[in-house]
Amino acid sequence: MNNDKKPAYRERLRRKYKYVDRAFILFLLSIFQFFTYIPVIFHDEKVFPLQALMLVGYTLFEWLYVFVMHVFFKKVNFELEFIAFFLCGIGLCVTTSVNPTTIVTQLASVILGIIVYDILLWFLQDVNRVMKVRLPLAVFTLLFFAACFLYIRVAVGVKNGAYNWLYIGGVSIQPAELVKIAFVFVGAASLDKLLTAKNNYLYIVFALGCIGIPVLMRDMGTALIFFFTFIVIAFMRSGDIRSILFICAIAVVGAVIVIALKPYVANRFMAYRHVWENTDNSGGYQQVRTLIYCVSGGLFGLGLGNGKLRDIFASTTDLVFGVVCEELGMIVAFCIVICFAVIAIYAVVNSRSAPSTFYSIAACAAAAMLLFQTSLNIFGITDLLPLTGVTLPFVSQGGSSMICSWALFAFIKAADVRAYPKVFKNS
Amino acid sequence: MKNITKRAYVIYALICAFFIGLGILMYSFIAHGGEWASNRINRHVFSNRQLTNAGTIYDRNMKVLAQTKNGERIFSDDYYTRVSTLHVVGDSQGYIATGLQTLYRPNLIGYNFVDGVYNSVKANDKSDIVLTIDAEVSKTAWQAMNGNKGTICAYNYKTGEVICMVSSPSYDPENKPSDIDTDTTGKYNGIYINRFLTGVFTPGSTFKVVTAICALDNIPDVTSRTFTCTGKYKIGNDYVTCNNRSGHGKLTFEEALNVSCNSVFAELAVELGNDKLTETVRQLGFGSSVTVSKAQTVKSTFDLSNAAAIDRGWAGIGQYTTLVNPCQMLMLMGAIANNGQAMIPYVVDESSEIVDEKGKVNKNISINESTLKTIRKMLRSNVVNYYGDSKFPGLEFCGKTGSAEVSNGKSHAWFYGFSMRNDFPYAIVVCLENGGIGYNDAIPAANKVLQAIAAR
Repeated sequence: MNNDKKPAYRERLRRKYKYVDRAFILFLLSIFQFFTYIPVIFHDEKVFPLQALMLVGYTLFEWLYVFVMHVFFKKVNFELEFIAFFLCGIGLCVTTSVNPTTIVTQLASVILGIIVYDILLWFLQDVNRVMKVRLPLAVFTLLFFAACFLYIRVAVGVKNGAYNWLYIGGVSIQPAELVKIAFVFVGAASLDKLLTAKNNYLYIVFALGCIGIPVLMRDMGTALIFFFTFIVIAFMRSGDIRSILFICAIAVVGAVIVIALKPYVANRFMAYRHVWENTDNSGGYQQVRTLIYCVSGGLFGLGLGNGKLRDIFASTTDLVFGVVCEELGMIVAFCIVICFAVIAIYAVVNSRSAPSTFYSIAACAAAAMLLFQTSLNIFGITDLLPLTGVTLPFVSQGGSSMICSWALFAFIKAADVRAYPKVFKNS
Repeated sequence: MKNITKRAYVIYALICAFFIGLGILMYSFIAHGGEWASNRINRHVFSNRQLTNAGTIYDRNMKVLAQTKNGERIFSDDYYTRVSTLHVVGDSQGYIATGLQTLYRPNLIGYNFVDGVYNSVKANDKSDIVLTIDAEVSKTAWQAMNGNKGTICAYNYKTGEVICMVSSPSYDPENKPSDIDTDTTGKYNGIYINRFLTGVFTPGSTFKVVTAICALDNIPDVTSRTFTCTGKYKIGNDYVTCNNRSGHGKLTFEEALNVSCNSVFAELAVELGNDKLTETVRQLGFGSSVTVSKAQTVKSTFDLSNAAAIDRGWAGIGQYTTLVNPCQMLMLMGAIANNGQAMIPYVVDESSEIVDEKGKVNKNISINESTLKTIRKMLRSNVVNYYGDSKFPGLEFCGKTGSAEVSNGKSHAWFYGFSMRNDFPYAIVVCLENGGIGYNDAIPAANKVLQAIAAR
């Protein structure tokens, strides 16, 4: 009897306004996006019809996605998705503005990312299922990563000073990005199990592999991201600060040994905090230009298409924060990076009420990974940290990075009790 | 589970670190924005590393000294104006570190933190600068230097505004000599240096003013003493030769300054001692530097720490290891002229930035009142009784010449002084490197410039 009763007036009103809120936020986002689309579609006294179609299509896709998820899958909250839409939209505009032909692959990456996000979100719903695939996934990931490395080493070779690019059918992918997903997955799942010694050893082997292979690939940024995420997961699980410090000390010793054996590692970071003395060599070339053009844009930017940083190598990947600063202004640029802090807060808040420790740890690990990567990116190109050449999640051009970012969002979303409406209702 | 949610707070620590990083980034954007945006790498305002997109620089009569036209930086259409104002205005590549086109670049390109370089790139609204410099007087000064290296600067000692600041050698920025960096004859030596601001020279007899001030401060009866010059001043086997080899004979203190007697001033320096001389030199600001419209001057050097008596004697007449900066010399004259208040020179009258360097007093220069009165009288006496008022018609001038002996070539010809006329409050410093004798070469150059200022 009670169940049949209609919700109280106040409750109905609340629901109604919540619905309006979502539509309203999406509406504001769409307006913002249309304004940013204009200079991408019309520039150099030309119109770019394909780009116009794709960009407007992207905004329509956002509406369609929210509508379908709400009506057919009864999803109620879309905070994370809105943030991702906002970031992806800016990324699309910047990459398309710099290089119009890239829009097809970039938009495909976004949509593929969303598909991966929803599949992973569905998969994570059942913790038992997660536990079952944990071990096979760990083994497969290690083998895959090692195979990729060997293949690249033998058949592909160095690109931009690292062995981290793979080409399949004309599409370039970074295997490390895909490994990131498995790293969080396996890490959070392993440590959810009872803290048995055997379990720990297996996990440490897995983590060492994931951290070690990027070192061999000469991709220090990715190795650092894995290491940092490992520390976060280990701390969340054990709370043992002494062990964590011990691990860090070992890592420092390891780093010193690596630098002693492989001088090129140290050479890469020679210009750190000395970029103004290295304006015309690879040590400081990108950082100096990023700083100069960041401040040239001011708070409001010079307008998309009016920048000069876009002509510098890696402007749409590593330096995308600088391009946003210069062309869209510091306000937009800082909003973008603050989004990642908001996501991290969201993850912590939700991890408290998550139905299982797996969700808590996975959410925090994924959020920490994103925030750490963001820090490496923006502080690296502005010379506050050494330049490691990592991407800005969602915004930088690149398919594997995009898919990885969306997949990490699935871990964060999974900790939200509202993520699985039916489960939530039953419980 | 409870523990884990507690440990999740470690993420907050990461977030805090992240925001601290963002804060530092924002701070460095605010603190260094102007410097970074005006870097030569910035292609919004530079092309081929030459400043192209910047505001106009005017002289005090709104004559254009430098401007951007059709994306190119062009200078005054008059050759002599270009050459004589080069070191103040600066070149477009930034070789002249103390030039305004280097130091005021953020203003000239219209940079500000909120808009970045939007004003100059999109709005075409750059920031202009108006100088206190008079292009015509600068031309006169350039011509008065007669091809010598050196510097001439004249300023209003009551306000600090600089009327002319010329440094030689110079070049035509519209037609830069191609051999400027490869030349080995030395004709371009220090061409990128503004000698007035960052040059140092042996002062020679001009430094006797400093020795005189020290004597007035420390020897109560110095003005009533009588000195005897025999053509040299001996200490043991060493001696300081006088400019008059046969000797000036009997002299008062004032007469000794008039004729610039080396014997008398060497004797006074020896009598005063290292400590007192060093202290006076410090009180007159020689150990400090000032900022002239964002340009830092160099410090003069005066070091008696290992000096024997004979060295002190040489130092007292402006030789030994002493090197002085012309700007410091001008401020010393300014202080004597302006009742002990040395105005710091400035050249930027108006710019988009609030000019807070206008009308500042150099606190490092202090002269006591009675000394001030006497030294002013003595400097006036130099002109009246020795150089002749006809050298500075109608200007009521005071000053001191110098012919500084240098190891290579002719002596430096110096003159520095000021006018006592209330309606003509100008002080001037002339330093012609290897230019000859102060009286013969520096005084006529000074007068030409002063007459040009008076005729405006």
